[in-house]
Amino acid sequence: MDFCKKHVKSDCVELLSRFQGSESVRFQVFSKIWREMEFSQIFYGTVNHREQREFCRLILDTAYTFFLPPYSFQIRVGGLYLLHSLYQCQITSPREQIRLALKDWEDVMKLEKDAVNAQHHDAVYILRQLMLHKAFSFTAMPTMLSFKKKRNVKSLELCEEFMERPSRPQELINIELLEELSNIDELYGKLKTSVSSESEPAYSSINLIRKDLVPQLRSTVVDFYKWQQRKSGPDEDGNGDSGEGMSSQQECSRRAQLLASIKSKAYGEATEASKSRRHRQVEVDFTSNVAGPSHSLRYSRTNKLSLKARTCENVHISGDLWKEAGETTRIKCLTTVDFASKVHSGKQNPVKRFKW
Amino acid sequence: MAAPNPSTDPNTNIPEYEYADANSNIFHIGSFRNEWLNRLKPSNYSYEQEDEDTFDANFAAEMGISAETLSDLKSICSPDSLRCHAEDQQPDTEVVPPDSTLRTLEQRKKRQDYRASLKVSKNRHDLYADELERLTVGRKPEAMVDMVPEGEVILTINVYYSVTFENFSTARPHVTLLMTGSHSLAELRDAICCVSDLQVCGEFSHTPDMAPEFISKDLYKSAFFFFEGVFYIDMRYPECQDISMTVIEWAKSHGFPPYSQAKMEDTRFAGLKVKVGFPYLYCHQGDCEHLVIITDVRLTHANDCLDKKLYPLLTHKHRVTTQKCAVCHVYIGRWLTTNDQFAASDPCLFCDKCFRMLHYDAEGNKIGDFMAYPYVDRGAFN
Ligand SMILES: [Zn+2]
Ligand SMILES: [Zn+2]
Repeated sequence: MDFCKKHVKSDCVELLSRFQGSESVRFQVFSKIWREMEFSQIFYGTVNHREQREFCRLILDTAYTFFLPPYSFQIRVGGLYLLHSLYQCQITSPREQIRLALKDWEDVMKLEKDAVNAQHHDAVYILRQLMLHKAFSFTAMPTMLSFKKKRNVKSLELCEEFMERPSRPQELINIELLEELSNIDELYGKLKTSVSSESEPAYSSINLIRKDLVPQLRSTVVDFYKWQQRKSGPDEDGNGDSGEGMSSQQECSRRAQLLASIKSKAYGEATEASKSRRHRQVEVDFTSNVAGPSHSLRYSRTNKLSLKARTCENVHISGDLWKEAGETTRIKCLTTVDFASKVHSGKQNPVKRFKW
Repeated sequence: MAAPNPSTDPNTNIPEYEYADANSNIFHIGSFRNEWLNRLKPSNYSYEQEDEDTFDANFAAEMGISAETLSDLKSICSPDSLRCHAEDQQPDTEVVPPDSTLRTLEQRKKRQDYRASLKVSKNRHDLYADELERLTVGRKPEAMVDMVPEGEVILTINVYYSVTFENFSTARPHVTLLMTGSHSLAELRDAICCVSDLQVCGEFSHTPDMAPEFISKDLYKSAFFFFEGVFYIDMRYPECQDISMTVIEWAKSHGFPPYSQAKMEDTRFAGLKVKVGFPYLYCHQGDCEHLVIITDVRLTHANDCLDKKLYPLLTHKHRVTTQKCAVCHVYIGRWLTTNDQFAASDPCLFCDKCFRMLHYDAEGNKIGDFMAYPYVDRGAFN
């Protein structure tokens, strides 16, 4: 089945790119693209029953990768719709199942929760329907593994255009954190006023925390986000209203919308990004041992800054947080000399800094 | 016993890639199963189909949507929404659609045209592979006691027949077996057919009827599996010898990490710690070695073969070219002769019938001078 891996992936990417272009997470939009591309036909004309089954396995495994981080919320919902549609339209009998690996379960549950919160009923419905009809096979690993010596490195490559921009700040300073902070701030303020005498309310020695911490923090992150949007290129005029395009059919509360846009922008970069980095590390390690065609990898490495480097360029985080981040990622391409010099040479982009 | 204990750290039993796309890290199969069962509702892995109406009612209630909205949703998400042809037209799914823009189909069309030019037809083995699968899919046992329980794990195990490394990267003849977590390694051993278990030793030209009596499997029963630093040896029969001890002692004296031992018959898959996708070893007949790869571990599904009695279940068998009789060219060789004045070559292969007709008179007396050895073809199990 390896012979058609590349083509299968490119067909899936084409479908999802069109879906991405729609700026929607509606199944209606997805199914329209599916029909336009006549995607059901992809199962037609295999040589025999066994090839049919193997092909079905391959395309489900390919689609599954788009259902997971590090891809954006919208792409992942597209991946879910793709899995559902492939599962429905396969002509293999009995149906080939969608393999769901234990390690990916949390990610799937998180996607479901976010879809529920944002009232994306179609996405939730389709995921639950797949569960209801036992479409999933609960496995150890995403694919069957038979120690193939010749690994297709190309097929492992991630589609950069389907990923969110680095969004550590948005991820760290989310609504929950702001709420928590303002609670603590309020409590702390009360505590201070309770210990100090009423005559000297502005006594400086207890004014350790700057006033309006929470709104300031929020506006700093919003500023950063806007700057990031501007910087990302003139071809993208995303002024915050792009997001996930709600259809008029589905009533969406303001809060849900806000939450959804934040979630989709900040989509799990903390955990997922680290996973994607690990992924890269493995690729790099492997080819450097084999001494084979590591050419393309090296090319992309020099050409494109790592996620961490890009984040670092965009925002300066001071203190232990940075140290910690440095400790948890030990990846060759992230810790090269030229990267280090970039950080410490003082060549900083004109970014507003915020301090803890 | 030296069988490894399940780890107490729950995270180590959630398999991750050790090498991307190659193999997983090490995990305990039984604990992995429990991790899944802890996360799922029993209905998720039950063999029974849940009621659709109950599902709808629950879904509407949980999402806080009206019956009307739900029915809209159902129609939006219906299978009809994915249909790429007119309702009254049934497409021919056997044919590659000619003018598709999908790259997969463009390629398939090219391949199909090429195959048509070669005039390859479906061969016996393709049919056989289809057959293997059709017989067992979704099969339920006659008696409930033979039902594979819900939430059991199923392992897919490949056993390879050519162990030399150069061969391994290109042609990899193997069988694929499905086993459950409650099977023991001894049951896996018994399910592995290898010609070297059937080799007959000795020269039998004077007494050809005596030959099939002694086969190697009965003579040399010792064998072991090697998984993650542990030799699992077969000690079911008194004739079994511990053939792993030599290796263990040699490793100890050469400063290798210590290896341990356990009994094949006492080790169930659920109690085993393994890496998925990683090559392990099965050794029997002293030096006949096979790579063993667990390619998949997963929970059972309603579509699986659910009849315990049909496990270990053979789902794939490689094709081996068979050596035919030098006289009739029809039957598989059963006798190998040397110094044979009747033979066209030395050594030479004969089927049983041709061998006897050519080398013995009507009374069964040996004619002429030759040596005869019983021969078991590699393709004897096809
Ligand atoms: Zn053997
Ligand atoms: Zn013959």
